Amino acid sequence: MVIDAFMMLMTPTTLGVMVACAIYGLVVGAIPGFSAAMAVALMVPVSYFLDPVPALAGVVTLCAMAIFSGDIPGALLRIPGTPASAAYVDESYKMTCSGNAGLALGTGLICSSIGGIFGSIALILAAPTLGDLALQFSSVEYFWLACLGLTAAIGVSQGSAAKGVISLCIGLLIACVGLDPVSGQSRFTFETSYLSGGLGFIPVLIGLFAMSEVFRFALAPGDSDRPPISKLNGLFRGVFGEIRRLWFQILQGCGIGTLVGAIPGAGADIASYIAYAATKKQSPHPERFGTGIVDGVASASASNNASVGGALVPATVFGIPGDSLTAVIIGVLYMKGLNPGPTVFLTQGTLITAVFLAFLLANLLILPFGIVAIRLFRHILAVPRSVLMPLIVGACIIGSFAVENTVYAVVTMLIAGLIGFYMEENGFPLAPAILGVVLAPIVEENFLNTLVKSNGDLMIFLSRPLAVGLAMITLAIWVVPPLIRLVHYMKARKPTA
Amino acid sequence: MRHQIAKAFLITAVIGITPLSAMAEWPERPVTIVVPSGAGGGTDQTGRMLAERLQARFGQPFNVVNQGQGGGVVGISSIKNANPDGYTLGVIFNFAHYATMGQSDVHVEDFTPIAQYNFDPAGFQVRSDSEWENIDQALEAIKDAPDDYVIACGGGCGGSWPMAAATMMNEYGVDVSQVRFISGQGAAAALQDLAAGGVDVVPSSLPEAGPLIESGRIKALAVMGKERLEAFPDVPTLQESTDMELELGAWRGLIAPAGLPDDIVAELENAMNEIVHDDEWRQQMQDRGFGVQWRDSEAFNEFMLDQQSSVRAIIETLGLASGNS
Repeated sequence: MVIDAFMMLMTPTTLGVMVACAIYGLVVGAIPGFSAAMAVALMVPVSYFLDPVPALAGVVTLCAMAIFSGDIPGALLRIPGTPASAAYVDESYKMTCSGNAGLALGTGLICSSIGGIFGSIALILAAPTLGDLALQFSSVEYFWLACLGLTAAIGVSQGSAAKGVISLCIGLLIACVGLDPVSGQSRFTFETSYLSGGLGFIPVLIGLFAMSEVFRFALAPGDSDRPPISKLNGLFRGVFGEIRRLWFQILQGCGIGTLVGAIPGAGADIASYIAYAATKKQSPHPERFGTGIVDGVASASASNNASVGGALVPATVFGIPGDSLTAVIIGVLYMKGLNPGPTVFLTQGTLITAVFLAFLLANLLILPFGIVAIRLFRHILAVPRSVLMPLIVGACIIGSFAVENTVYAVVTMLIAGLIGFYMEENGFPLAPAILGVVLAPIVEENFLNTLVKSNGDLMIFLSRPLAVGLAMITLAIWVVPPLIRLVHYMKARKPTA
Repeated sequence: MRHQIAKAFLITAVIGITPLSAMAEWPERPVTIVVPSGAGGGTDQTGRMLAERLQARFGQPFNVVNQGQGGGVVGISSIKNANPDGYTLGVIFNFAHYATMGQSDVHVEDFTPIAQYNFDPAGFQVRSDSEWENIDQALEAIKDAPDDYVIACGGGCGGSWPMAAATMMNEYGVDVSQVRFISGQGAAAALQDLAAGGVDVVPSSLPEAGPLIESGRIKALAVMGKERLEAFPDVPTLQESTDMELELGAWRGLIAPAGLPDDIVAELENAMNEIVHDDEWRQQMQDRGFGVQWRDSEAFNEFMLDQQSSVRAIIETLGLASGNS
């Protein structure tokens, strides 16, 4: 069956579609504000005319490429191309500034590929088992998972933990605008229907990262630190040594990505935050994170690519979309007669295997295509900033408009840019704010819904085994480090007392 | 300055204002179809299938614009506020609850109905290990202890599926104000919560529940349509197992802002009539799990007005109505 499936892929049409989609995915992923989900949605009308295998192979290739190429503008311009790259954008940009762009992008590229391959193998071998995990998640487990995610905020912020928490709270506050997810009451909407939809995630993301960069340049065009371009020639110099050193963290990133991806509603962005924070936690020198070291970049790039494979699990096994990206993929599956469900593996076994193999192949293709993309994109650094910045403004405006289809999204983006600028100027990290925007609705909705289910009884949060497990992990991360510090402090005091 | 020009351009593009009011030959330029839901969902898919057909028929691009923010409130408002010149149309679904729940001031009277093209009867899904074998047992149990059960709304609790379940239970004599309805991120997420043991009942379309029914995690006790669905021959209709003669579920149609000139309405209505009765299009809808239902402009208007009053009444009964509306 696997050989049949492989032969289905090895046709000129399928390979041609995959190459075209790979290029399309790389370009879209690299433009801030053009999300992978949008790219796939735009491909749907085209897929009418394609046979099932090329259509689906193209779509999965597109996803894999777009998630990787979001790293490129992140490292070169400090602007994440997709939300999945936001967790480590600061780190990889600092690496570029200190002349290590080749190491940052090279490691990101190889780890993306490793993560993607890990995710696709997990998908091929363990889809039904992993699918069961998704069906263990009720609102109680989601609540604890989101709490666990919130703790990652401290992991991704450098410097003062207090500033990290404030930044996280700004993100949570941004997410409060709009209709209350449970009762549907309007919050901070000032009676306009445009705000009742909330502040769009993508416009906020672009504003915080990209527009703030533009403002900074506009106010001080002279002294903006422009990264040296020459160093990018050694794309893989030192990469393999780092990968050998960080093999455990990368593998862990793959595992986190696949699991988080397999849980519907938690996607590539949350996976990369958690992987980054976990790597920092285990590092012997956590204080160096955020100053431009490769550790976090490696594990987080592996995890966001692994999560795509994970997200395809509930989508194909139960027809449950993990995010807007997989929602579109499910639409294409139905359209091509591959109705998701457990029997798809029996009735359409060869076809679905072909799709999974295509995904595996796409993750291998990340390497050659990624190298070409990086070589092309690095010329961006040679463009004078006075030319580049207006172009970025254009991309920001089009990107935020395109994702929400309202002019208000552009206004949101501009205001978020101002907020981002002032936060940066005063030493508040931006990554926790984005995490707050992602997690706030999950925390709130699941907390309130769980209480509605239990008629207000808080004990429900510890009523299920998986929930207890997640709660223990979360509480341990909160409570244990201060306890250890306290013990050390006591010990240090003893001799003098 | 450059931003302002760009913005002005974008505003014009969205709202579809045309400086020329003369409408010699509609459509003489591209038409926008506002879809008040995100890309990829059912409303979006059916909207795009329609757009494709309308485009082929009228020879102008029919562009789908997704505005799913706030459960569709943003998109529905922008259809309402657009110029009724035939260049902004919209796909609509059950929206009667938004005004009553104080979320957005939109009513059937704000729109020109063109045609209804879709109806999906609601299924009544429970976990496979539920002791309920049929809908009668379920309704009796809920009637006896309404506050013991949790029903997932899918999206917001005024949406099509919870309204169908609530209307049906109300008809049966359940004190629906005691039943706990919880909102969520769509029917798929609710079905997952059902399988995970978080809720007791999820009303949704049967095709949406299909994969989980197939895998033996959940079962459908009834479908609230006139007859059984072809793809789910084992699921009885409501009327077979109870005496209730109800047709409840989700519907979709094409609308325009109020005041669309009659000749454009007629042209669009004719086009929709042909599309909805085209075998290939019907097959496409069926393949993707959507039911087809035809209502012309007038019948669609009556249907929506009817829906509006019944949905608003049940929202009052449920105690979901906002005080200030």
